[in-house]
Amino acid sequence: MFRHNTLRYGALVLLAAGAVAHAVTAGYFGLEILTEILILAILVLALDIVAGFGGMVSLCHGALMGVGAYAFALLSTKAGISVPLSMVAAVAITGAGAWVVGAVCARSHGIYFIMATLAFGQMAYSYVFEAPVFGGDDGLGGISRPDLSLVGIDLDDSRSFALFCLAALTLVYGAAVITLRSGLGRSLSGVMHNAQRMRALGLTVWRVKADIFGVSGMIAGLAGVLAAQHSMYISPGLLNWTVSGEALVVVILGGLGTLVGPLVGAAAFVVLKHEVSALTSYWHLVVGSILIAVVLSRANGIFGWVEARWGAKLDRRLADSTRGTEAQEVTGDA
Amino acid sequence: MDLGFWTLQALNALQLSMLLFLLSIGLTVIFGLMHFVNLAHGSLYALGAYFGASLAATGGYWTGFFLAPVAVMAVGLVLYTLLIRRMRKSGPMAQVLVTFGLIFALLDLTRIVWGDLGLPMNAPEILSGRVAFLGVEYPAYRLFVVALGLGVFAALAYVLSRTQIGAMIRAGVDNDAMAACLGINVERLFFIVFCVGCALAGLAGTVAAPLLSVTPDMGLHILIPTLIVIVVGGLGSLKGAIAGSLIYGFVQTFGAVLAPQLASMLIYGFLAAVLVIKPAGLFPAKG
Repeated sequence: MFRHNTLRYGALVLLAAGAVAHAVTAGYFGLEILTEILILAILVLALDIVAGFGGMVSLCHGALMGVGAYAFALLSTKAGISVPLSMVAAVAITGAGAWVVGAVCARSHGIYFIMATLAFGQMAYSYVFEAPVFGGDDGLGGISRPDLSLVGIDLDDSRSFALFCLAALTLVYGAAVITLRSGLGRSLSGVMHNAQRMRALGLTVWRVKADIFGVSGMIAGLAGVLAAQHSMYISPGLLNWTVSGEALVVVILGGLGTLVGPLVGAAAFVVLKHEVSALTSYWHLVVGSILIAVVLSRANGIFGWVEARWGAKLDRRLADSTRGTEAQEVTGDA
Repeated sequence: MDLGFWTLQALNALQLSMLLFLLSIGLTVIFGLMHFVNLAHGSLYALGAYFGASLAATGGYWTGFFLAPVAVMAVGLVLYTLLIRRMRKSGPMAQVLVTFGLIFALLDLTRIVWGDLGLPMNAPEILSGRVAFLGVEYPAYRLFVVALGLGVFAALAYVLSRTQIGAMIRAGVDNDAMAACLGINVERLFFIVFCVGCALAGLAGTVAAPLLSVTPDMGLHILIPTLIVIVVGGLGSLKGAIAGSLIYGFVQTFGAVLAPQLASMLIYGFLAAVLVIKPAGLFPAKG
């Protein structure tokens, strides 16, 4: 089950404080980057739930995000439904789609699961690319942000929109923690460690996987809705498998299965991307090398590495205080 | 839409299938034997095209044709000693990620060496015309690609089913621990198969270069079709690779002709259906 420790709380407080401070002080370009980080963070949270806590490495989360974005754009611009209602509907549609994908793929494992999700993701990508209603290669424009003028907030201002995304991320993080601590989340970690045993206990394994995939899809859909509102324009490129691959890279860079780590990863990834792109056009070479180095180091990403070091330090302190007698039993909850 | 039209489409489909076969056979046997997911296989194909185009520019087409696979094999050797040998024991997730990183790195390395613009590569003089074949005029070079694919398939089928090393590879795919107990040096076998797989990827790249434009992202574009081929066909088997390639080639080509709107979705739908009905593919190496 997912637990917070002091380090995780500390990192969350630091991240939140940093985001708020940045949102208040930064200029236009800084705010755009912050919003990009926040939306990516929502997407990678969705991916970490399935990959880190359910062992379901999905390569269709980029496509799910795209489905959310397109559903929102179509409902709000073409069908004439109000913006808040379209947001809810888009999240629901993406969740339902993800549930179906999860249910179909639940039987596959390992590389086959990766390939199956890839197939569904690319299927959505090709469909959006081909069908005229989605605007094809040209994408869709004229997407509007929610109107919060009733409470005196103008979301067309990039500062308020960044704060709006931060609020959404906070909500999503809370929802993710609640989901992982619920009965469903506990069943999921049981399924990840031993599906056979869970089946013997009378659990319908595919239902658990599909339900979690649905929840994760709703979160990815929300990321898509916010991404559409952020750039006010969407194109099929959003659904391409490389987006899913990048999301997976962010989760790994941050720390798989830590929930806090992917947030750190998202911030590091976007900042690195902008910094490196300013220096050289070979940004992929840098991120590729870093990815290889991180995986070869066998650390669980940036946050996982810090957590392991921190856990080791705690152990050593405990071992010193108890003269090494019971220290073996008190290992860190990494 | 007369008979000639359909013959033409069938030949196009066959040519695409053979290109995919050259690429997927290396990948599928590496996976079957080593349980190694090498997403960077597509990048080796792109490297093959670049080596081929550069060598052809200096020494003519055939220099590129024969030397590019050797050069790609050398790159494969470096990757094997530096990275892949270390990743052998880690899970599929780590392998996918490391080779995903490798795709990124190799993509930019080709951009640094050869630039962003596409490279031209011409078919050799002798194969540049069109020939009459089954009542249609068809480019000779494309027929050469089909013949080459069929030739490689026949050679591999012979080696795998009739020679001692083929028997050793089949034993290794079936049960590597047992094969090792029987005195087969499975590690060396892996190494040989990996080199041959890389060389075939390089060959596919060189052969594809005159047909498609040689661009840095060509490896990324071919990766997904290759993965579809090996997953549909079943990992680790020659029969699966050829069947998967043919299915992909024909579904893609005829889909584009008969239902252009659905063409690109058709093959993904087919893949999803195969994974649901037969999760291990149509002709898996292990029963």
